[in-house]
Amino acid sequence: MPSNKELSAALDIEGTVPIHSVQLDAMVVLKIVKHCRESIPATVTGQLMGLDVNGVLEVTHSFPMPKNNQDSEDDASNYQVQMMRCLREVNVDDNSVGWYQSTNMGNFMNQSLIEHQFEFQQALSKSVLIIHDVARSSMGNINLRALRLTPAFMKLYKEKKFTTEALTKAKLTFSNIFEELPITIRNTALLTALLYELETADESVEVSTSHLTTYKSTASAPASKSVLAPSFDVLDLSLDPYVAKNLENLMDTIDDHHQEQGNYAYWQRSVERENKKKAAYLLNRKTENARRAQSGQAPLANEDVDAMFKTPAEPSRLDHLLISGQIDNYCKQINEFAGPTLGKLFAVGELQK
Amino acid sequence: MSRFFRAGESDSDETDSDFSDELTHSESEGHSDSDSDDSSSDDNDATKKTGGRSRRIFEGSDSDSEDDTVRVVRSAKDKRFEEIEQAVTSMINGQKINDWVSAQNEFDRANKGLQKAAGIISQTGVPKFYIRAVADLEKTIQAALEKEKSSSKKMNASNAKALNSMKQKVKKNNRLYEKEIQEYEKDPESYVDEEVVEEKPKVKKPKKVVVSDSEDDSDAEAADDGFTPVGAGGKSVEFNQENIYKKLKEVADARGKKNTNREDQARILERLLAVANSPYQKIRVLLALISAQFDFPIGASGYMTISLWKHADKYLNLLLTILEASPEYIVKENVPEEEETDKDRVPQNGEPVYIQGSLVAFIDRLDDEFTKSLQNIDPHTTDYVDRLKDEVGLYSVIVRSQAYFTRLHLTDSISRTTMRRLEHLYFKPDVVIVAVENATAALLPASIAKPNQDSSALIHELCVFLYKNATSLLRTRAMLCHIYHHALHNRFFVARDMLLMSHLQETIHQADVTTQILHNRAMVQLGLCAFREGMIKEAQSCLQDISGTGRVKELLAQGLSLQRYGAATPEQEKLERQRQLPFHMHINLELLECVYLTCSMLLEIPNMAQAGSNPDGRKKVISKPFRRMLDYNSRQVFSGPPENTRDHIMGAAKALSNGEWQKSVELVNAIKIWELMPEALKIKEMLGRKIQEEALRTYLFANASHYSSVGLDQLAKMFDLSLASVISIVSKMVWNEELSASIDQVSNVVVLHHVEPSKVQSLALAFAEKAAGFVEGNEKLLELKTPQQAERPKKGPNANKEQATGKQQQQRTMGPRGGRGGRNQFNNGLGNSVRGGRK
Repeated sequence: MPSNKELSAALDIEGTVPIHSVQLDAMVVLKIVKHCRESIPATVTGQLMGLDVNGVLEVTHSFPMPKNNQDSEDDASNYQVQMMRCLREVNVDDNSVGWYQSTNMGNFMNQSLIEHQFEFQQALSKSVLIIHDVARSSMGNINLRALRLTPAFMKLYKEKKFTTEALTKAKLTFSNIFEELPITIRNTALLTALLYELETADESVEVSTSHLTTYKSTASAPASKSVLAPSFDVLDLSLDPYVAKNLENLMDTIDDHHQEQGNYAYWQRSVERENKKKAAYLLNRKTENARRAQSGQAPLANEDVDAMFKTPAEPSRLDHLLISGQIDNYCKQINEFAGPTLGKLFAVGELQK
Repeated sequence: MSRFFRAGESDSDETDSDFSDELTHSESEGHSDSDSDDSSSDDNDATKKTGGRSRRIFEGSDSDSEDDTVRVVRSAKDKRFEEIEQAVTSMINGQKINDWVSAQNEFDRANKGLQKAAGIISQTGVPKFYIRAVADLEKTIQAALEKEKSSSKKMNASNAKALNSMKQKVKKNNRLYEKEIQEYEKDPESYVDEEVVEEKPKVKKPKKVVVSDSEDDSDAEAADDGFTPVGAGGKSVEFNQENIYKKLKEVADARGKKNTNREDQARILERLLAVANSPYQKIRVLLALISAQFDFPIGASGYMTISLWKHADKYLNLLLTILEASPEYIVKENVPEEEETDKDRVPQNGEPVYIQGSLVAFIDRLDDEFTKSLQNIDPHTTDYVDRLKDEVGLYSVIVRSQAYFTRLHLTDSISRTTMRRLEHLYFKPDVVIVAVENATAALLPASIAKPNQDSSALIHELCVFLYKNATSLLRTRAMLCHIYHHALHNRFFVARDMLLMSHLQETIHQADVTTQILHNRAMVQLGLCAFREGMIKEAQSCLQDISGTGRVKELLAQGLSLQRYGAATPEQEKLERQRQLPFHMHINLELLECVYLTCSMLLEIPNMAQAGSNPDGRKKVISKPFRRMLDYNSRQVFSGPPENTRDHIMGAAKALSNGEWQKSVELVNAIKIWELMPEALKIKEMLGRKIQEEALRTYLFANASHYSSVGLDQLAKMFDLSLASVISIVSKMVWNEELSASIDQVSNVVVLHHVEPSKVQSLALAFAEKAAGFVEGNEKLLELKTPQQAERPKKGPNANKEQATGKQQQQRTMGPRGGRGGRNQFNNGLGNSVRGGRK
């Protein structure tokens, strides 16, 4: 007898339950990683296939999109359609649930990504974006993030209204453009069995599984006996490049931000100027009216003052939001990096005694 | 006009005038007023009036027949009049032959003569022969012009021009004498006749008049004093014991009125003084007399004439003598007006007599006028020196009045005079002060001033008095003078401490301009003092504010700044002119510049070497003007041998940066202006040593990167310094983190460490700066905040950032200050943990 939960899941045909986590098949992860790594440093994208079940988005398959060489949109979509048809023919999940993108040092916050994701989420409300950071993954731990645009952001983006007022009202800051979903990686039972097998197996099975250690495929072969020998990437002590790269990016972003600040300040000034003009005009009008009242004349007709003095439109705050988010990203990265690094340094210090 | 036409018939009289010239030559009557400038029209009025009055007196005095003593004075007056007369005669001759050029010249001469005789004339009136001549002249001109118009034959150009200008001049001139001319025209014949009749008594007259001429010297006056009582003529009758108060009152009432003749007033007062015999009378007269001296209009020169000043000085001295001799009379301000001033008041039963008057105002005025005259006299003439010699007299008056006020316990007046005294002394070297003091002591009674040998003690005493008693402005000024004095005597630390303890620098910008100038002077002197003491850094920082601006002249009030952006208004310029210091108080600007540049060189060259190619370091500029000059100098394609001070220092700077210290020393020592410094040799020696040291530092900064170690002996040899001093210099550099090195004392070498910041470190630095800018930008935005509370969404990142940058900044500011703690910040940042681990 099916449990209540399963029952409700089965009944959730409309897909009303919002997704709260993402479940990636190991193969999908490997495919994404492989694709991204191969095409470094270019940014690549691909499609995710799967199904949302009861709030959990199960991604079971993926395929890369061809290099984004300025072909027309039609080519890309044609390819996508054909690919999906092919997949259906071989009886694989062909339900698109999102896309993935590679990134380097977390610099993914940009207009085009937002736009792309927005379109996705417009079409498939349950789609998700997987970000794979190649550079950070090379530091030892695989780095995958599942992101969705928040409803508040979606709404604002739809209206294209990124004024300060709107932002305040929507309580939108750079930190809630995206919501991040937890990712779990799932192996099929068969695969789990195979892994268990491998742990105890002799060298003979090595050949078939060598691609499993994706991050260190070449290094692992001669050095270790076992294919599951631990990776020592984590212990890499060349820390400077990472921090340096981060700092450089951070500085670039700050420069951008500075520019935004300038724009905003300019706007503020012009608004102030206009307001002053307006106030002066109103005051003038008031005294004029008072004078007229004294001399028994009818007051001047109220004109549309706002029409006369147009306050310049506020520049879109979207860029600013994104830049702030980007800065936040970098800072978090450095912070995250600093903790383990400290540990490493202690360890090294101990060793050098 | 018609008047003249009517009188035109009397043209024939011209010939008469020739004859009558003989008669008129001694005529003293008539009119002074030769000044053809109409601007002083009130003066003219005045003279006319007095002219009229004196004529009346003369008429009255016809009956007096004092024939004695007449001859004595006659010549002086006659000489003047003869001159005028001559001019008038030749003028008339010129007229006759239609030679207007010469007529014009003679006319001018006559006027000039009249001007010269102004003193006499004001007493006697304008000579009648002159009046007649000018009246006739006008007619002749009129006629000549008419003739010219009608006749076909033209005059030559210059003649015609002269005629025309004569017409203008005469018209203008005659307006001054309208009354007399009218009188004359009424009855030309009798006018001259009258003169003839009047002639006799007039000849006798002048004696009295001439002697009181204000231009006479004091000895003439002394003679006058001798005369007056004897020759009790018509006029002198008026000045006696009885009417002295009446006269005094008259004078006092007339004072300040528009048409009062000040010279007359002064003269009357002088006569009154001669008559006065009780101390009370004398004091009263003197008070009036001194004010009268100050009342004289100041001419184009911009200051009181020196003779007048001397008179004032003399009378003031006299007044003080009287006051000292009779202490029961006290001159004070704010004395209730006595209702009956016509009586000689004598002190009764020990009660002192108070007299209204302000001595301190006299002193102030006298001193101010002295300064003004010094400002206006060309300092490169002997006039200036002569004038400067009067300072002793002035100083003694000040000292004297100070003593007087001290006796009366008038604190305010004492402070003011003490300040005046201090301002006469503070900038002078010891020797001069002692000399002035001794000269003063010689001039004054022993009870007031005694020779003083210790100038510093004197200054100290004066200043301390002012600190205790004076108002805050005077206290400030006294403090600055004191500082200046200390600095002048090479007591740098005392002076500096005074400056710092008084917190003057914080408030000085609110003070009035003269006090600010004094402050600037004190600062400059302090800087020079530091330089003499070999404290280059202190000297540089003292002089930086003044010399670095390029407005030294203006700041020290030693000359007007040449070009200002936007021309100054005339008022501003005038004010500035008034602030100028007299030449003898000047600080030598060239020396000042030389000292400033030398100090800058000694600091800037190592600084530049240290900065090297590092762009951040380049920004740290110690002395902008020096850098500018050096840049300019190095841009020059050919540089000739140094000519002026600047060239020398620039050459020395270049040599220094190349490590050629001998050449640098040579160039600096070749500067001539050092001779103006006391103990020039010692200073040169000091400079030589400093240059050696700085050359060593420069060398190390510039070349450290090429060495892994340098032998200390070698360095000592290169820069001709002792090993100990090399070690001390290098150690200091290491300690100050200017040089990353260490000294190996075993092998006597400096081991240089080469530390380059890693990429992350330099990036972190750059980031810190960026982040600071970021925060600043945000704060600025917040300030501009529009009514819409725009900043909400920004707050988030700011908070984060702010903390981060705050930390960074803290670290950075700690760096230079924290001495040892701040070194190798980067190692600290990362390395703390490592070091912790090693323990």
